[in-house]
Amino acid sequence: MRRYGNGRGVGPVALTVGAGEVVAVCGPNGSGKSTLLRCLATRTRPGEGSLRWWGESRPQRVRHRLGIAFELSAHVDEASARQNLGFFAATRAAAGHPVTAAALDTALARSELTAVADEPVGSYSFGMRRRLLLAEALLGEPDLLLLDEPTVGLDVGAAERLVEQLRRRVGRGAAVCLASNDTTFVERVADRVCFLLQGQVLRTAPLRDLLAEVQGHRELRLRCRGLPPLPALRAVPGVDQAALTTDGVVLTALRRDGLVADVLRALRDVDRELLDLQIRDPDLADVFLRLAGRPLDG
Amino acid sequence: MADRVEAARRRRASRAHALLPGRVPRWLWQLELLSQLARRRALAIRLAFPLALVVPLVTTGAPPFFAGMLLVVLVTLIGTVGTGVGVTRARASGWLDRLAVLPLPAWRVSGELFLAAFLVDAVQGSVIVAVVAVAHQPGPALLGSTWALVLAVLALANALGLALAALTDHPGEIMLYLAVLLAPLLFLSGLFTGVPAQGVGHVVAGLLPFSYLHQAFELTLGGNPATGDPGSFAVAAAITAAVAVAATAGLGPAILRRSR
Repeated sequence: MRRYGNGRGVGPVALTVGAGEVVAVCGPNGSGKSTLLRCLATRTRPGEGSLRWWGESRPQRVRHRLGIAFELSAHVDEASARQNLGFFAATRAAAGHPVTAAALDTALARSELTAVADEPVGSYSFGMRRRLLLAEALLGEPDLLLLDEPTVGLDVGAAERLVEQLRRRVGRGAAVCLASNDTTFVERVADRVCFLLQGQVLRTAPLRDLLAEVQGHRELRLRCRGLPPLPALRAVPGVDQAALTTDGVVLTALRRDGLVADVLRALRDVDRELLDLQIRDPDLADVFLRLAGRPLDG
Repeated sequence: MADRVEAARRRRASRAHALLPGRVPRWLWQLELLSQLARRRALAIRLAFPLALVVPLVTTGAPPFFAGMLLVVLVTLIGTVGTGVGVTRARASGWLDRLAVLPLPAWRVSGELFLAAFLVDAVQGSVIVAVVAVAHQPGPALLGSTWALVLAVLALANALGLALAALTDHPGEIMLYLAVLLAPLLFLSGLFTGVPAQGVGHVVAGLLPFSYLHQAFELTLGGNPATGDPGSFAVAAAITAAVAVAATAGLGPAILRRSR
């Protein structure tokens, strides 16, 4: 358990991450995802309770087995990607995990940074810095990868390559714990999902079990002129959940004929003009909405 | 036309290259030093500004007591400010967070940050000593011991900068803490009023390296301080350097704010 002076933080949390497993931690802003990752990464000490990595409780004994990408992609900006990467490779080598020059080149190539490898990192775009950060975390085959919002700043191709790399690492027995609300990415890589809300674990379960809970449902995201009429929308037959988002309302409802027509009629009945409507199959975000009664991204 | 375009592209590309692109640093201090050397304008200013102060000070017949006092303040500020501001900036950017979770002992991280800062500061300090040497041509023993003492005080000032960076997250606050810490230390070293001939003040000044450096500069500039000789300066330099290194190593956990 780790709480800050303002009461925010995380805990109590009971979570294990096994070898060859990807655990995704999801939750709205301020739910404690990053704090949990920082505890696992040996950066923050739990105020109460204990943390063990492979049965070891002393951080200095396990740091050489961790690959970490925090949210901030801080580098020595005046140095190049090759130089930054080379330093991290050297620290891994000093800890008994040698990284060859060829492995450095491969890491740069996988991150699509070869062409700019000798340019100062300070001249890189946000996405390039994120790719370099992930390359550094993945260097030297760490046994546990801890990734905070790994897809932030990545384009579709880079996110796809990250999925492939994680699958390859997990196939070789590495454990991965990542904090992300990118449900598309999480659904592609995670074995288990831990939902956090206000520092508490809402639910931890295998991904397939969670998705099974929303099978046969649909998600409707709509914007209307004026305040969304939540009671009227909740009264539509089949609607499970209705919650406000930053720009409208999100509904999860049982998939049935006439659902959309009923929702539109409910809006019309209370004189709300529809501005936008998106319909899609539900995903992890809808599971969270059902569990928490509030959206994951709200 | 195509040649001009290509030449312009090459010029842009060469400007875009990091310093020593073929050299991959194995150590943190190498990476940090690379970063400092790459900021060429800042580096030029850091080397030029001591000259701007020291050249008129030592060539215009300023009283050795006051000239020595200013040189000590300059050396101390050079060592403290750069390190303190640099490390707080590294914390604000998240770089220290990343260093803290590496499989490196905390003393090594603080030691390497210290070393990179010290190497650049040592060049600045040596420029000061060189100007004094050219202008006043002291004997080799006095020059050597003064130079050693300048380097040792720079090392201690670097360690003070690290200590200040452990206290605050804001680069701007470094100057505030610096004034609070340094003013009494320099006063107790007798920089403003001279070292008392006896009593507690005399003993305290004898424990602070700034008083020795002041005497060394005063002697080098042709003054006649009450105490001080090259032998005592060399001993003070050795002790000060040892204290600086020990303090730097001890400050590692506080700088990284490692939980344990």
